Amino acid sequence: MITVNINGKDYSAEKDETVLAVAKRNFIYIPTFCHNEAVADYGSCRICMVEIWTKKGKNKLVTACLFPVEDGLKVETNNERVLFIRKNIAELLLAKCPASAEVAEIAAQLGVYETKYRIEKDGNKCILCALCTRVCDEVVGRKAISLVNRGINREVAIPFYDNAAACIACGSCVYICPTNAITMTDKDGIRTITMPNCEMKFALRKCNSCGREWIPEKQVKYFLSSAPGLTIEEFDLCQSCRK
Amino acid sequence: MEKMTNNMQNYNVFVPRIVDNDEPYSSGHRGCVGCGEVLAMRLVAKAIGRNAVVCASTGCMEIISSQFPYNSWKIPWIHTLFENSAAVASGIEAAYKVMARKGKIPSADISVVAMGGDGGTFDIGLQALSGALERGHDFLYVCYDNEAYMNTGVQRSSATPFGASTSTSPAGKRRSGQHAWKKNMPSIAAAHNIPYVATACPSYPYDLMEKVKKGLAVKGPAYIQIYSSCPTGWKCDSADAVKVGRLAVETGAYPMYEIVNGQVNITIPTPEFRPLKEYLEIQRRFRHLTEEDIAVIEERLHKEYRELEEKSKCQNK
Repeated sequence: MITVNINGKDYSAEKDETVLAVAKRNFIYIPTFCHNEAVADYGSCRICMVEIWTKKGKNKLVTACLFPVEDGLKVETNNERVLFIRKNIAELLLAKCPASAEVAEIAAQLGVYETKYRIEKDGNKCILCALCTRVCDEVVGRKAISLVNRGINREVAIPFYDNAAACIACGSCVYICPTNAITMTDKDGIRTITMPNCEMKFALRKCNSCGREWIPEKQVKYFLSSAPGLTIEEFDLCQSCRK
Repeated sequence: MEKMTNNMQNYNVFVPRIVDNDEPYSSGHRGCVGCGEVLAMRLVAKAIGRNAVVCASTGCMEIISSQFPYNSWKIPWIHTLFENSAAVASGIEAAYKVMARKGKIPSADISVVAMGGDGGTFDIGLQALSGALERGHDFLYVCYDNEAYMNTGVQRSSATPFGASTSTSPAGKRRSGQHAWKKNMPSIAAAHNIPYVATACPSYPYDLMEKVKKGLAVKGPAYIQIYSSCPTGWKCDSADAVKVGRLAVETGAYPMYEIVNGQVNITIPTPEFRPLKEYLEIQRRFRHLTEEDIAVIEERLHKEYRELEEKSKCQNK
């Protein structure tokens, strides 16, 4: 056990924990977009900036979600320097995605309501936090989507913008997206997953008893190939019709 | 917070691995086998997180979570009487507000959640709840609706649906179970002009958690009514606790909707209904009902659902 000082108060922590984990456990609020416990931290949104002082006298601004705690570390989450940089990041995010209600909400908490930067793209919601690509890789294990291009052209996309071969339409990317940039709808036997730059359509399988569509055909195929003991009969009935 | 609640029922397989695995409500409680209500409570606890105070009225959920000398809650929890959980919650909320104003705590962002069963909400606690909603305290009221007083031995409440046989509305030669229709509690709550009212069901877990988060995020009171199956009282198979919830939604017996600032939004739409018989036949409390009875109930439930649909359409124009 080591001791960390956050906002003038001492807290005990384990050795490899991050500043964010210690703060969260002790109800110290740090805003985040790209953090989720299910996947490894990435540090792309930068909104969780905090100021630290190490025992050796090093003083710098770091992202709370990536910086590991050490003995005698002093952290400030809410001082003038941190708020100045966080407000600037909020303005940059507002310029990047003017259509996102979640970004506007966190910006409003910091007292930022408009941006001095040029709006990159009207109606954009994606902040490029890569949670969707990370969850597809680490949790689902399919790597169906990835970040493509560099610099200002960077975006989330399926390979060549039209090849959804690896996607099994599980909806994990839709659920995890912090700004609702990816959406999913089931209608007329087709599941549509809409990304900022492309659309994927998947046929749904019908229940033999009630005739409702309930699971994408592609997911059935994936489960049959990944679990050897499974038979196609297991997918004949939907959850509500199963005995 | 405007996550697309309309799609919440479609998630499967991998989404459970993304949900936060912190459990403020621990296992080892005294719930019956297959209790749908405690499942709902666990999901609610997951959604509210650790920075919260829970205030629970008497009922099944209080009995099973706090048998002396144990307690299943890992967050501050207070037991109140049947009638006053909303009143106690509004006191807690007001106290935190004052403490934040006097500088004794850093900020008043602590979530206050009041909980009650259908007896403690529909019948006994209604006036305290109405008062708290009217005063506009910033808290969330969660009602676990298992459609009777299950804790004391299945007596009827005003949440019991028409035709259900309970120990105080038994089915016999003269009467066929409960003679009154279910009280429309979400409408009563919405009539207080509060910002958020919703119905939810643990058979649709992400939908439920999203609704609880929405209810906590709004400024002002929020009311969530959770349909929770009770195999002991409804006399259905304990393995069917989740299935019965799905059937209730798909047959139109318990529509899932939310009312945000007066605007109705059906979160799990049911374009075509399953036959109501599928829902009734797996529960023994309905086994005395004849075909004509079922037709009468079905007609009424469909009419109520159509009314709800009309409301959502005319306001969304």
